[in-house]
Amino acid sequence: MTIAPKGPRKLTMKQRYEALTRDLDWEPSYVDKRDVFPHTEFEGIKIHDWGKWEDPFRLTVDAYAKYQAEKDKRLYAVLDGFAQSQGHLSLTDASYLNAMKVFLQGVTPLEYTAHRNFAYLARHLNGPGPRFAALCQSIDELRHTQTEIHTLSNYNKYYGGFHNYLEQHDRVWYLSVPKSFFDDALSAGPFEFLIAIGFSFEYLLTNLLFVPFMSGASFNGDLPTMTFGFSAQSDESRHMTLGLEAIKFILEQDEGNVPIVQAWIDKWFWRGYRVTALVAQMLDYMLPRKVMSWKESFELYFEEQMLGGLFADLAFYGITPPKHVDDAIAEKETLSHQVYWTLYQFSHAAAFTTSVPDAEHQQWLRDNYPDTFEQLYQPLWAKEEKNIEAGGRHFWRGLPQLCQVCQVPMLFTEPGDPTTICQRESVYDGETFQTCSNGCQWIFEREPEKYVQAWLPVHQIYQGSCGGPTLPDVLQWYGLEEGDSGEYKGSVDEKNWNTWHDDHAPTGTEG
Amino acid sequence: MQYELRTQVIEPQRKTFTHLVKRYGDRPASRYEEGTIDVQAKENFHYRPLWDPQHELYDETLSAFRLTDPYSFTDPRQYYYAPYVSSRAAMAEAMAATLDYLDSRDLLSRLPEGWATLVGELLVPLRHYESGAQMVCSDVTRFGFGTTITQCAGYAAFDRIGNAQSLSRLGIALGGGTAELLTQAKTRWVEDAPLQGLRRFVEELFLEKDWGRALVRLDVTDRLVYALFHGHLDDAAIESGAGAYSLVAQHFATWFKDQRKWLDGLYKAWAADPSTGSANAALLASTTTEALEEALRAVRPVALRVDELVASGAVAALEATADGIREAVRAAGPDTAAAPAAPTA
Repeated sequence: MTIAPKGPRKLTMKQRYEALTRDLDWEPSYVDKRDVFPHTEFEGIKIHDWGKWEDPFRLTVDAYAKYQAEKDKRLYAVLDGFAQSQGHLSLTDASYLNAMKVFLQGVTPLEYTAHRNFAYLARHLNGPGPRFAALCQSIDELRHTQTEIHTLSNYNKYYGGFHNYLEQHDRVWYLSVPKSFFDDALSAGPFEFLIAIGFSFEYLLTNLLFVPFMSGASFNGDLPTMTFGFSAQSDESRHMTLGLEAIKFILEQDEGNVPIVQAWIDKWFWRGYRVTALVAQMLDYMLPRKVMSWKESFELYFEEQMLGGLFADLAFYGITPPKHVDDAIAEKETLSHQVYWTLYQFSHAAAFTTSVPDAEHQQWLRDNYPDTFEQLYQPLWAKEEKNIEAGGRHFWRGLPQLCQVCQVPMLFTEPGDPTTICQRESVYDGETFQTCSNGCQWIFEREPEKYVQAWLPVHQIYQGSCGGPTLPDVLQWYGLEEGDSGEYKGSVDEKNWNTWHDDHAPTGTEG
Repeated sequence: MQYELRTQVIEPQRKTFTHLVKRYGDRPASRYEEGTIDVQAKENFHYRPLWDPQHELYDETLSAFRLTDPYSFTDPRQYYYAPYVSSRAAMAEAMAATLDYLDSRDLLSRLPEGWATLVGELLVPLRHYESGAQMVCSDVTRFGFGTTITQCAGYAAFDRIGNAQSLSRLGIALGGGTAELLTQAKTRWVEDAPLQGLRRFVEELFLEKDWGRALVRLDVTDRLVYALFHGHLDDAAIESGAGAYSLVAQHFATWFKDQRKWLDGLYKAWAADPSTGSANAALLASTTTEALEEALRAVRPVALRVDELVASGAVAALEATADGIREAVRAAGPDTAAAPAAPTA
């Protein structure tokens, strides 16, 4: 008989963390394991050892609660102070809030959906390590949903466009772009979701999708949103680490996983990139005080950091940069202009306002887009300025055709030819479907049975499912009220803003 | 006497968001309401799940328990994320203070022998039970219907993994700072006869597709487990000079009291629904009754082992808890099913 070494072998911090979080699973024997985890085989991903998952962060529940409670206390103190001091009056301009309207309508509901589906991963992944990481992200995403609502709630009290964001996320044409994107991930299996959201959305594209709103806030006097952004930063960095760990883990588990993951990267890069169309126009057109141009942002955060950095690392696993990435690069000088020009003409049917960029703004656009703005887009605005002088601000009275995949109106041009609209057709089951780009066409043809299900807002309007046959019926069904939509100049928000900044504004007392 | 601050008065254009005005009238909404009510997407889902094309991404038919309006239930604790984590930070701090105290006075190693065995052999292995409960609650978080319900389930899931970690800490402390007891606890969970009923229950619960039934089944078993370990044994520990056990148990009892608030609220809302209420009440009664027999089969061997170790009268206490649940089901019986009454522990 051997005698065990005497005295306790105390756990190191890492061992202690693992003892607390990792060893909680067991092999079921009363039921079939495949029935306990019914969703982790059909995608073709093979995991041989779930124990190889490296925890992306070491956080126990008690440490999490303590740390997050302190962060929230600070955040809510800022929100309360801002509300009490009428801080909204120190924004650069009321028109800045259009960016936040798009954020609340388009992004906040996605945070919520992420919350629900990370809970799905916290149940349905086989390993306790990734389940716990997903559980933390799930509850974080609920935090972001609620802190965003609470941050923007105060603006809703004074400005249009915010008040019906939840119903609008389910109904309005431009919001089906982010909604269908996330529904696509939600309806996928757990591994595709990890690559779609954990990796592509939270890591690959987060600096293009999420961060610009927070930076825009800090440049435009939006203290609450900026504080929210900082407060979410440590959560987001955990989520980014999780996304990166997820892809490495899946790739390292089996060589056969590599082509599956590659196809998901190809799909989700383009899918996410198309959602950034809304962010691109926000950066270049909606912020009164600019942070950086979309082009610069794309070059720095995507071309330099991701293509130059991340994909160089992933090459080790045999992963190549996403398919159609060259089409995205080719668009960087046209994207925001094309999108905003479209939104400008359809903003009577949106929950934000638009306006012709003023002279100073157009100068900035010329400076930042020396090869495209003056030649291609300035003439459009010049013509529109003439229309307005003649009393005819332009709104498009018809309905745009939408891409079957990304659901953005068919406004993008052929790669390398900024004057020809790009239109791709695919036939499935005897029916023809339109897509806006090579990327979306490829995505459609890979899973046509999925994309034919899409709830396309314009089709639905034609089919009479959106409140009625006329535009006013539809706008009522969208829950749009006076002051939510259309032209910013002369809008309710602008009038109020001017009144509130009038020196003779009424004052009162607070005891 | 107060001083007067001159401030700019600006009349708000509206008090809150449209969906809250429609529901509650034109009044300011609480942060709980703004962060919770109607937040789950309602319509126009784009694609069916690849793994379940029969259902929508959120689908109310995933449980036989139905609310005409899912938001007729609200969390009596009004937890949104900030008050939730703040409450849990305080609970965790209290638990940590207890464990530190036990450690500093070496109280765990001074537990009477039967009690120390009980903790290592029966209580610490419940970390796996808690982990299973987390998975069940996470499934409800995803597939439940309506944010007021799924939010509570999400917090419960996080609580359960927190409970598993607290039990693990206890195991590490009792094991003199090593993971030996945890390793043993896993073997016990998988092999020891007294725990197999409970393990079987958790594994079978993983296969329950109806999230409402899953919640009720888990809750009924929880009521037996928590009453046994953190009610009955808490009292017995004090009487047997195992004060350290009681100091730990109080924290789990406090948590469970908080946990049952929302479940009772949900049962009341189910039974009070103007159109589905009587069906819900009947279903709750039958599910509770079935689940109780199942739970007793699972927990009785544990209670028997408790009595072998500390002779506390655990089996009798367990049966008394079960009788209490049966009585509550009877009291809410078919005649009064539509009344907003629900069984309580």
